[in-house]
Amino acid sequence: MHTPERPPQPQPPPEGHDSGNPPDRRSFLARASSMGMIAGLGASYGTAGLYAARYLYPSKPRDKAWMFVARIADVAVGGSLRYTTPGGEKVALARQGSAGTVEDFVALSSTCPHLGCQVHWESQNQRFFCPCHNGAFDKSGKGISGPPGDAGQSLPRYPLRVEGGLLYIEVPTESLEVADASAPREGHDPCLDGGAPL
Amino acid sequence: MSLSPLTWIRERVPVGPEQLRELTNEPVPNHLKKWWWCLGGTPAYLFVVQIVTGILLAFYYKPSPQTAYESVRYITEEASFGWFLRGLHKWAATMMVAAVVLHQMRIFFTGAYRKPRELNWLVGMCLLLLTLIVGFTGYSLVYEQLSYWGATVGANITDSVPVVGVYLKELLLGGEVYNENTLSRFFILHAAVLPVTMAALIALHVTLIRLQGVTEFHFRDEDRKKPAFFNFFPDHLLTELSIGLVLMVLLSVLATVLPAEMGPKADPLSTPEVIKPEWFFYVAFRWLKLFSGTLAVLSMGLIVFLMYAWPFIDARIRRSRPESEASVWIGVAGALAIIALTVWEASVAH
Repeated sequence: MHTPERPPQPQPPPEGHDSGNPPDRRSFLARASSMGMIAGLGASYGTAGLYAARYLYPSKPRDKAWMFVARIADVAVGGSLRYTTPGGEKVALARQGSAGTVEDFVALSSTCPHLGCQVHWESQNQRFFCPCHNGAFDKSGKGISGPPGDAGQSLPRYPLRVEGGLLYIEVPTESLEVADASAPREGHDPCLDGGAPL
Repeated sequence: MSLSPLTWIRERVPVGPEQLRELTNEPVPNHLKKWWWCLGGTPAYLFVVQIVTGILLAFYYKPSPQTAYESVRYITEEASFGWFLRGLHKWAATMMVAAVVLHQMRIFFTGAYRKPRELNWLVGMCLLLLTLIVGFTGYSLVYEQLSYWGATVGANITDSVPVVGVYLKELLLGGEVYNENTLSRFFILHAAVLPVTMAALIALHVTLIRLQGVTEFHFRDEDRKKPAFFNFFPDHLLTELSIGLVLMVLLSVLATVLPAEMGPKADPLSTPEVIKPEWFFYVAFRWLKLFSGTLAVLSMGLIVFLMYAWPFIDARIRRSRPESEASVWIGVAGALAIIALTVWEASVAH
């Protein structure tokens, strides 16, 4: 009976054979498996880290809604009114044109664009003033001194919309509990021209 | 035959007085016999005070906008000795910042950050920043007017960092603006993330000191015949314990005479006419008034970067001019600038 000859088997290299030579199959496999393990660990822990970062990052933007402000016919050209958002933030709103479109109106936020403090109107100085870092804004909301003036920042403006002769404003609807909950905070202030002049 | 409890323990933990002495007996240079050279141990001691008093305060503190202020009021006015523990926590925080700054100034002006101790300077810089951040987050937890607006300003500072600022701000606040999630984030940072990080860095700091030894100084008036070192145990340990005792007395007096008070509750709709952060942020607060947002933040970042890199900058200067005393003059100018900005901010309303 003929027994087929087995092909010659590769001989294992002697000890220390791989020094200075290209890696043989065994050391290549050892390195490849080490690299694979490191890559696997990196990928898995990296994914877990990304999940953790995504978990900590806010999952949705601040809730906002369009709110009714006034009939545009009730706001005289050159006049202003004060509006308070559902969250309690005061908005200085003014009419600067007579076209009857949204371009006639501006709505200034009272949040300083520098570092987020609340500005207030100083009638004696005819300016909005931020007590945190001495930022000042003119009646149109343009920064005139302090860090906002240096950086050319203005008070942020709220988006407005006019529909069927009615003026709407888009404002945040979430709020933190405020110190004096009994004070009226929400909705349209009926005192036209009673707020900060613009 | 019954074993004594001590023998029972020694069989299971084979460490005796000899091994303990071997482990702890770091040779300590003679100048550490004077307390003003021991400012490194002071913040470490105060850190322990903060951990203990912080854990006790956390038993009653409730981190949400609806409950935070009321829970701090309860601690201050109703819980037995709550006013004292809160006072200790507040004053230990203040003293910890002061001690870290003084320790770092000592290291700077004596050149103890130089080779081979550059890495420990970097660890120390991280500890300085973490001490300030932990002070900032802790101050914000009271939810009174100044702490609320301080937190708002602090979070918005991160917004001024180019590219990543907006993401950092939202991560810190848990939303676009200060919201229901913000206080719990500040609390977790203040009570868990930052202290654990600080404990790990303090361990690394001490390990590096043990590995490299305490920097030796030689003074003109010292007796050359006397040994240059003394034992850590018990000599230096007794010095540190004495400092700890004096600190505890000082903290108790401050907490009693000038107790932590309650300002008006936070009103997110109204920034107070005069707003100030804690004294150790006066420098940054004045800086923010002097320059526009991004410029102020980037310049502060550059200063912090230069502080981190100082051992390497100094080494470069000394390679070209070995006798240079640039570090001393820069240090004096920096210290004077910090004092001037702090005094300026403290002395004016706006």
